[in-house]
Amino acid sequence: MADFNESNVQEKRHAGMHAKKVVSNTIIYVILVLMSIIWLIPFIFIVLQSFRCESTSMTGYVFPQQWGFDNYVNLFSNTQFPRWFLNTFIIAVITAALQTIIVLCMSYTLSRLRFKGRKFLMNFMLILGMFPGMLTMIILYRVLADLGLTQGNSIPGLILVYVASSGMGYYVSKGFFDTVPKSLDEAARVDGANRAQVLFKVILPLSKPIVIYTLLTAFMGPWGDFVFASYIAHADPAGYNVATGLQWLISTPSFLSSNYTMFCAGGVVVAIPITILFMCLQKYYVEGVTGGAVKG
Amino acid sequence: MSTVKLTDVKKVYQGNVTAVHDFNLDIADKEFIVFVGPSGCGKSTTLRMVAGLEEISGGTVEIDGEVVNDLQPKDRHISMVFQNYALYPHLTVFENMAFPLRLDKSIRTLPDGRQVKGFSHDEIYERVTNAAEILGITQYLTRKPRALSGGQRQRVAIGRAMVKDCKVFLMDEPLSNLDAKLRNQMRAEIILLRKRINTTFIYVTHDQTEAMTLGDRIVIMKDGFIMQVGTPSEVFDKPDNLFVAEFIGAPKMNTIRTNLVKEGEHYFVTPYGAKIPVTGEKAKKLAKLGVPSKEIILGVRPEHIVLAKKSGPDTIRTTLLVNEMMGSELHLHVVTDDEAQLVVRVPTIHLTEEERNSMVAGKEVYITFEGKVMHFFDPETELSLLGPAHPEEPKEDK
Repeated sequence: MADFNESNVQEKRHAGMHAKKVVSNTIIYVILVLMSIIWLIPFIFIVLQSFRCESTSMTGYVFPQQWGFDNYVNLFSNTQFPRWFLNTFIIAVITAALQTIIVLCMSYTLSRLRFKGRKFLMNFMLILGMFPGMLTMIILYRVLADLGLTQGNSIPGLILVYVASSGMGYYVSKGFFDTVPKSLDEAARVDGANRAQVLFKVILPLSKPIVIYTLLTAFMGPWGDFVFASYIAHADPAGYNVATGLQWLISTPSFLSSNYTMFCAGGVVVAIPITILFMCLQKYYVEGVTGGAVKG
Repeated sequence: MSTVKLTDVKKVYQGNVTAVHDFNLDIADKEFIVFVGPSGCGKSTTLRMVAGLEEISGGTVEIDGEVVNDLQPKDRHISMVFQNYALYPHLTVFENMAFPLRLDKSIRTLPDGRQVKGFSHDEIYERVTNAAEILGITQYLTRKPRALSGGQRQRVAIGRAMVKDCKVFLMDEPLSNLDAKLRNQMRAEIILLRKRINTTFIYVTHDQTEAMTLGDRIVIMKDGFIMQVGTPSEVFDKPDNLFVAEFIGAPKMNTIRTNLVKEGEHYFVTPYGAKIPVTGEKAKKLAKLGVPSKEIILGVRPEHIVLAKKSGPDTIRTTLLVNEMMGSELHLHVVTDDEAQLVVRVPTIHLTEEERNSMVAGKEVYITFEGKVMHFFDPETELSLLGPAHPEEPKEDK
């Protein structure tokens, strides 16, 4: 009898715990779903506007009455968008390539070599990185203007600015390299590799996640930059990147009413390469972000 | 010819911590030398300085007469096997073994007199498959290291070191990560491998059994100093100091603080009330050196202590504490009347079943040992009273 009572009590307790778990999970999921909806609204809104054909300005409703690709066609045929897209693409690709090489070499050096002032340098760069880059904008503009790298010539100017400070972003990759056993470097050096061969033949193939992560972040920075790009090339639309160009499309009230849906179409086009990149490389990106964090 | 010479080699780390003090050693061509010692004694650091993986703070390392202090590891013509295998996880076993050959772009003269740069695909294939066959890993050549067991990985690591034409083969505790059974098997394989490769080996281990079984000569180190260099039998039979005496041999040597008494031409030791004469070569050497009566540390190996049938003037009365049955022998841990613990190794083959069964805790046991197996150490310097196994020759003034 006592046994029966005890098992009954245990069963009830188990059922109670189960109900509690279901309730807490439901609350969590409801919050998460709400958050995703809030997150998705702007994206869905822009996508819907980009397909609106009945009006080019803002409307008081969300879903288009006439659907079509007019905005996309106009964007590519009646504006300098292809030029801006190409500008941005060139800047982003070159920056991504150079920045990735610099960051990885820097991180590997700081992870593996021991030299005087190493710790000071690391701390110095970390603290320096805490200051917003915009603080340097005015002086950088002056320097670039003196070099003739502003306005229509902004592409090399922007690449120079983006790449110049890239070494300071060593921290995450260094954390990752620190987790790769040093004996692999040593084995490769005994096997006949020099430092560069150790990095490119042994360490980097083992560090795909961090290479992808570095490449993606290096690509995304210039791809989405507005402030710096608009400042450097403000007077000449030929030197704009997509963000500056799209902002220019709606820069006056009359522009806004005539180009709003085209602006939304531009927003969608800009998002496509990044979205594809992320979908393909998502796995590595997550590994890259968390990889260095486990053991630093 | 591939000799290695270390002259006054020193390693000082940041904060003035000296890991290796004035290390001097001449390693002959095709010699198998083993650095052995407890953790932190500087053996791996010394090996890494030979490899070029550690900067040398002082002194010179010569390989084949060439000072290599400032040469990169790749230019020293060495191969190395690491404790944790250090295989490249992204490459197959074949590619791991081919890695040093693919990197080698030096100009070589072939047997037919032709000069070639680096290795052709056919040569790489031949060398890798030959090494794999010797090591019994042919069937794993297409696998990645993660799909191999510890023993197989270590074979691949040895294979990678083998394919290269190296002057010196360095091994840094290659068997430490393996289980005891596999370690014994691999040890035997290394002995066979050594015969095949026939080059100069420097092997680092903390396991004195490995050192004794593998080395032509053993370098025993402690706190960055060389304690003794000698053949396995030399370091076992004629330890220069107490550290070597205790480090070599398992279970370790028993040490007893007692008196060495000189009576006329004869010497005696008086451990725990017994009086045991020193005999043989050791007595002669003590007399030759004119060692007076004094307090000493007496060393006796567990296998040299025997059980006495009955009490006598040369026996020590002890009580059995623990009896460890090792199969072919018993390890008896006994305690003297003075509370000193000693270990006695008794081969079971010399005991009747009745005697074996009677070895239980609390039993009174009489032990003794012969005068020729004793080791004598100075209590202050801990050096052997019989002098070093290899008396140092006086250095010529430079």
